[in-house]
Amino acid sequence: MTERAAGTLEPMLTLVRRVAAALGMAGLIATLFRLRGSGGVPPQTGGWRELTETDLTR
Amino acid sequence: MRIALAGLGTTGSHLARQLRDPDITEIRLFDIDQQRIRAVRGALDVRVSPRSGAPDPEDPPDVTVLATPAGGHVQLAAKMLEAGSHVVSISDDPDEVVGLLALDGLARSVDRSLVVGAGFCPGLSSLLVRFAADQLDLVEGISVSRAGTAGPACARQHHRALKHDGRDWRDGRWELRRGGSGRDLAWFPEPIGARDCYRGALPSPILLQRRYPEARRISARMAATRRDRLTGRLPMLRKPHRDGGPGGIRVEVRGRAGGAGPTAAVETLVYGVMDHPSVAAATVAAVVATRTARGQGPPGADGLVAWAEPGELLSELARRGIQIAAFSGQLDPAPTGQTPA
Repeated sequence: MTERAAGTLEPMLTLVRRVAAALGMAGLIATLFRLRGSGGVPPQTGGWRELTETDLTR
Repeated sequence: MRIALAGLGTTGSHLARQLRDPDITEIRLFDIDQQRIRAVRGALDVRVSPRSGAPDPEDPPDVTVLATPAGGHVQLAAKMLEAGSHVVSISDDPDEVVGLLALDGLARSVDRSLVVGAGFCPGLSSLLVRFAADQLDLVEGISVSRAGTAGPACARQHHRALKHDGRDWRDGRWELRRGGSGRDLAWFPEPIGARDCYRGALPSPILLQRRYPEARRISARMAATRRDRLTGRLPMLRKPHRDGGPGGIRVEVRGRAGGAGPTAAVETLVYGVMDHPSVAAATVAAVVATRTARGQGPPGADGLVAWAEPGELLSELARRGIQIAAFSGQLDPAPTGQTPA
């Protein structure tokens, strides 16, 4: 009786392990995609110019 | 002129030192830490009344400045308005900002001003938006980005903001967007430079949309590191810095100049600031508080975007050391705020 129960549990445990491994891998890949890279390209020309009082009050 | 200042954290302490108008006759300082009150009091050369607890509605000052951590501003603002004091709040919590804006009717009924979000961002950022928008005939899009934090309370708010949904104004309605999404590379004035910015629970769109409901898009983002995003959903893992500066603001306003019609030229104006957020927020709040005490603020509850003559106010801030800059040159092909999430 016990041997028969162990025999039916084994494939179930394998399935659970595989599902857990697949979810773990998916999470890892999602985290990598989320964290790596950058959100755009910096401007190629131009720059910042400090504004004088005349610029601000004209 | 009598001013009450509640909260002497990093920004509040700077704020007290920035209250240096010759018309100020008394500054009342409120904080739970008496030692902090004594330290700030020693640095001021006007009559200072150290107080404990909260500002007293029985003896209202001309203006009450709320620089305490987010939470509690709404109740105190209502009490002080009813007592006849103008109120300036530097809260950057979106729910609290909504609560403060709801006091508009009360503020108008007593003919007082309630200035909402009078700090770094919102605050200085709102002035820059207004300055840019005043040069356009029709505002179509506004994008606000910020980097850096002020004191520990601000750093905690930054941490909270990243894990809560942000509100974007898109085509006439509000959209809730997940905090930490919508990565966008924003180019701040040097030495901050390029920083990846993300959506979060930020109050700027709420304040700006009241002024520019015709805009198709209004969004706000905050700079965050990979660690901020990775640990955003967890409690803060270590004590925040005493000052999270230097930081920056970048506002981008798109619209039409030379008429509001579809044939009018599309223009994009970009302004920025690089400073320590605590110092810049304190300077903005001090200047605004002094002007509000003189009755120069618009009646009712609103942000600094409602203040006319933003150039004149920015000019005073520049005289106090805040460097305001304009970006000129070619922007990236996908302008900030137009990148899909």
